[in-house]
Amino acid sequence: MAEELTSQSYEQPAPKEQAQEESIPGVITTTSREINEFLKKTKIQDILNWGRKNSLWFMSQPMGCCGVELIVAGVAPMDTDRFGIIPRNSPRQADVMIISGYVTRKYFPALKRLWDQMPSPKWVFCVGDCSISGGPFYESYSTVQNIDEIFPIDVFVPGCPPRPEAIIQGFVEIQKKIETKKDRGSGYEG
Amino acid sequence: MKVDTMEAEKIIDSLNAKFPDTISDSQIESEKRISAYAEAGSIVEICRYLKDELQFDHLSSETAVDLILKDEIEVVYHLSSFGQPLVLKLKARLPRNNPEIESITSVYWDANWYEREAYELFGVQYRNHPNLRNLVLPDELLGDWPLRKDYEDFPQKTAKNLV
Repeated sequence: MAEELTSQSYEQPAPKEQAQEESIPGVITTTSREINEFLKKTKIQDILNWGRKNSLWFMSQPMGCCGVELIVAGVAPMDTDRFGIIPRNSPRQADVMIISGYVTRKYFPALKRLWDQMPSPKWVFCVGDCSISGGPFYESYSTVQNIDEIFPIDVFVPGCPPRPEAIIQGFVEIQKKIETKKDRGSGYEG
Repeated sequence: MKVDTMEAEKIIDSLNAKFPDTISDSQIESEKRISAYAEAGSIVEICRYLKDELQFDHLSSETAVDLILKDEIEVVYHLSSFGQPLVLKLKARLPRNNPEIESITSVYWDANWYEREAYELFGVQYRNHPNLRNLVLPDELLGDWPLRKDYEDFPQKTAKNLV
């Protein structure tokens, strides 16, 4: 057993060639992706969206001084729990990523990795002027500009920093977009 | 208020007497601040003398200034003292195309990270530094020296949706 563990390689295996989908006569093969695409055209999607919009768990990764406002948005007087908004520490359990500050060139690969670790459907919104346009750092050598070209951002919450009520309203706007099937996170476009 | 500059005068006289060739432009700026220019080659001896004999036992900061019109980079040391209320601003002029100076980590150990920061932002090469690499700058930006005045990517003009 120990030999097996030591000899086990932790490197990523080489990507296998995509197996062609076999067509079995008389049997309809399907994938979960096709089921999802089918459900999007039916009324079941409305029920799914109702469930999704009332459990927007966001990933707690504050990036700048707007992260302090995120903390305030999570305390008892704001009571984000009534909308089903709960902070999660792991990206694998989160639905919403909040870009809450300047994205530096050094932090950008980590942010991209966190986004890739989140299971779909997932939404992202910008909080604060820094993440929308760069804010006071828009000329800096170390920031990544035009975040909206990189992530499918649904809602922008301007402010420097925005008040916690504005952050909650950002969540409410995402809920409205999910309800009317206009959000970019569920993949209606693609 | 009468300015008492006795201590500062003593320190400047002592410095000038010990290093007559390498210390220049020494002056008293106020009762708490002295400034002097040092020759780049003898910065370690000067710092060692300041620490051992003149009680400047604390390096407050170390940075660099890019003077592009004079075509030189100034390395600035702020030395202060726990025993006397004085700050010494020591500067050394380096040529801009090859800024190279001896590291003072052998005298003040906390110069280590200051010098790494001045290296990554201005490209000042410190000889005999124990670990001269970038401090917080990502690796792909190393070599661009972002805080130099002729850095090309500043100001960055790629931002589209300015508030």
